[in-house]
Amino acid sequence: MNKKEEEFSEPVWNLPELLERVDNDQVLLRELLDIFKEDFPQTLRSLKTAVTGEDLKSSSRLSHTLKGMLSSLGAVRAAGAASKLEALSAAGETASLGPALKALESEGESLVPELDAYMAEVRR
Amino acid sequence: MKILIADDEALSRRLLEKTLDRAGYEVIAVDNGKQALEQLCKPNGPRLALLDWIMPEMDGPAVCRAVRTRTEQPYAYMVLLTSKGSKEETVLGLESGADDYLTKPFNAEELRARLRVGERILLLEDRLVEARENMRFRATHDQLTSLLNRGAVMDLLVRELHRSHREQKSTAILLGDVDHFKRVNDTMGHVVGDEVLVEIAGRLLKSVRSYDFVGRYGGEEFLVVLSNCNPSYAPGRAEEIRKSISSRPMQTSKGPLTLTMSFGVLLSSEWGQRPVEELLHEVDIALYEAKAAGRNCLRMAQPAAKLELSPALLPQAVRRRQ
Repeated sequence: MNKKEEEFSEPVWNLPELLERVDNDQVLLRELLDIFKEDFPQTLRSLKTAVTGEDLKSSSRLSHTLKGMLSSLGAVRAAGAASKLEALSAAGETASLGPALKALESEGESLVPELDAYMAEVRR
Repeated sequence: MKILIADDEALSRRLLEKTLDRAGYEVIAVDNGKQALEQLCKPNGPRLALLDWIMPEMDGPAVCRAVRTRTEQPYAYMVLLTSKGSKEETVLGLESGADDYLTKPFNAEELRARLRVGERILLLEDRLVEARENMRFRATHDQLTSLLNRGAVMDLLVRELHRSHREQKSTAILLGDVDHFKRVNDTMGHVVGDEVLVEIAGRLLKSVRSYDFVGRYGGEEFLVVLSNCNPSYAPGRAEEIRKSISSRPMQTSKGPLTLTMSFGVLLSSEWGQRPVEELLHEVDIALYEAKAAGRNCLRMAQPAAKLELSPALLPQAVRRRQ
């Protein structure tokens, strides 16, 4: 398996890992998802502004924040995308920031419906 | 046990908070390095800390460095949380003063195990501090009476004399000796002798203010230092201290026993700046005079009277005081 395939074999959302981390506490899990639903779009928006304005310091800091948030949640692939963006910002590779941000957004787009579906299911 | 969490990212912070709360910790959560440092520097603040590496205001390693400059407070065990993986960064983190590091996202089991290591270290530190305090007490206190020992009371006296000279105040030095103490030991035994010394130590301590001090100077000799003592009140206060011994009998294992003490009293303001040994020699002479005057009384050390005497007429230090 080459590196690219390996990355894509990772789940969008590693729910079992997260459940273990919260010790199967559904109340806490929902609380974390609520924090995510509020903080993720907001931070992503600020990150977009930073990338557009080529503000490397802010884009490095904000992608780091997203990486932490996503990895705590078990959103492995999106966390990887945020990590890449952080590294590119730190390295000053301005030209690559746009595509890296797109990749992160697309990971976010596949993640959010999974979270919504889960929340809808547990609230039923 | 209190634990500090510092992470600027809300989701990770909440997850950590809940995990540690469940593990029985009293959690304090903050979202930047500056607040973390404030918490860690508070008296009775947390001694275990999980610090995110990258934070606004102050990053994790900077918090560690700042905490390590404190010397007054007990040791804090700090764990850096990092998503960084390189060896160079691990070294940098540990060199900043962190005790350990954990990579994010953490595993709950590993986190708890590493914190238990921290608790072990803190417990060890507490035991060492306690042992050191015990040693310090033993080195400065008399084992029988728990009063300051001779060395400690002399050190305090020197400091007090400097202070009163600087502030142009007066320190009163009282040297007291139990009258006919040998008789107690000879007729009632050393156990009763020890009981009496303990009782006297307690009475002397009770008869002075909290900022005065009392020490066991020798076998049955006690040194009382009244700091910032108005010279006109000194004889009266010394009298009260003398009466605290003679006014009522002491309860011993062989029945009640009434004892008295004789005192030499010296006011530092009347002697200018002189070496402590010289002052103690003078107060010793005054004590000798009290003994000679029939005991159970006090005599003031008088600098003026001394000037008229030739050195050959001064009482010698060698004498009996039964």
